[in-house]
Amino acid sequence: MNALTLQNISYEYEGTNRVIFKDVSLRFGAGKVTTIVGKSGAGKSTLLSLLSGLDVATSGRISFGGKNLSEINRNRYRAQKVGIIFQSLNLLTNATAIDNIILSMNISGITGIDKKTRAFELLARVGISREKAHRKILKLSGGEQQRISIARALAHDPMLIIADEPTGSLDKDTEANVLEIFKSLAHDDGKCVIIVTHSENVTAIADEVWGLEDGVLCLLPVQTDTGGGRDVCNPPRAFESWKE
Amino acid sequence: MYVIRHALLNLGKNKGRNILLGVIIFAVITAAFVTLAIFNTTGIVIQETRYTLGRMVRVAPRQIVYGEASVSFEQFLSFAESEYVHEADIRESRTSINGIEAIYYLKQPEMLTNFEAELRSRGLPDTYSVVSEELSFENVTGNLENLHNLSLTFLVIVLILGAFIMVLLSAISIRERKYEVGVLRAMGMKKKKVALGLWIEIITITCICFALGMGAGTMLSQPISDVIMTGQADSINVNISVNAITVMGILGISILLASITGFISVSWINKCEPIKILTERN
Repeated sequence: MNALTLQNISYEYEGTNRVIFKDVSLRFGAGKVTTIVGKSGAGKSTLLSLLSGLDVATSGRISFGGKNLSEINRNRYRAQKVGIIFQSLNLLTNATAIDNIILSMNISGITGIDKKTRAFELLARVGISREKAHRKILKLSGGEQQRISIARALAHDPMLIIADEPTGSLDKDTEANVLEIFKSLAHDDGKCVIIVTHSENVTAIADEVWGLEDGVLCLLPVQTDTGGGRDVCNPPRAFESWKE
Repeated sequence: MYVIRHALLNLGKNKGRNILLGVIIFAVITAAFVTLAIFNTTGIVIQETRYTLGRMVRVAPRQIVYGEASVSFEQFLSFAESEYVHEADIRESRTSINGIEAIYYLKQPEMLTNFEAELRSRGLPDTYSVVSEELSFENVTGNLENLHNLSLTFLVIVLILGAFIMVLLSAISIRERKYEVGVLRAMGMKKKKVALGLWIEIITITCICFALGMGAGTMLSQPISDVIMTGQADSINVNISVNAITVMGILGISILLASITGFISVSWINKCEPIKILTERN
């Protein structure tokens, strides 16, 4: 089942002629972890902005559940359907960890649950203690902030989880824990997890790995069982060649 | 509901900026309160003085013309029976030309013309003048008028300067909060809710400053008025009072200030896209 579909998406930066994508078509399946790799400046974060409804493509159509993103309320889409983990985290720094998560639930309009309890559960899931949950974001380490950002993205139980380098500041154990969470969200809960990464550990849990270069996306041959009929990179390239 | 809670929590989180904003709003409200209280009170005193003097009519000969019939004491008394007269003060006086001082207090200052016509028909010679004391109004209330006009000028200056500072401060404040607005919008918060949150913050600050400004203004109005009136010749003792008009005026000014800042916030938020804010920051 497809959660998100891109049809002939093109994108160029406003006021410039710099083309980031040209006629990109892609389907992101529910219940799968999809990773996107590519060198810096290739447009990976821009792609995530388009998928999360923060930006609009120059042309083409992005559909969620069969509905065109440009025709639905993108505020509601971001608040209820998508959990975004930004590379730069984008947490409210003068608020506490728990406040950040509860605010996300409030914005999504979730009702009928004890928000505080759910927030504590999510924080515990990513390894943040109750004591730290009450600390202001600026008083927490980079790794802890990253985990709070992940917990916030899951707070409103979104269908889509979009993550930009979600494990960049994490130690190995925490990274493994977070990747297990992503895997479980996709495989057990049927969520669509899309991750932009440079980390081999992250691509290792992916069901699909796509490479982005010169405005073109192609499927890396690491998952031969899922690549049939898709734009498999030609010639096939190793993951290392997509890194810096 | 969560927007209100978030806004109120934000008040405590951004103490420095909010205190600065509060101090300026407080200063503007206090200054406006003092000037408005002085303006209104002096206005009332001037009006009352004008009314009192306008009702006070003096009937006296312009000059003694020998051979002309003069008005007797009894005649002056009979004039007091006019329907236009509220009360009269007729007495013998060594200082007046005819030896009689006749002052009539009319029911209304506007009755002067009718009253004079009645006196003329009842035999008051043309050599007698029927003059309201309003003519001496300028002498009595000159300083008060100056204070009244000065307070109005000061009020206008305070409002223009206050509005200018508020606009400037709001613009700086909203730019400082650009990131926060970007994050909230990226999380899917609607523009109007972000704007509502900012507006609740400024309204809360304004309400606190309104209460404090009222207290400070009440304490300061009388001493400031006394200082201004001190040393002025023919000064009238003005007791500055806070009436409903002053309170309503300050409330209006407070709402105006909050609206100015709110308008700046809303117009800015309407223009900004979260992706641009977050990209610029990063």
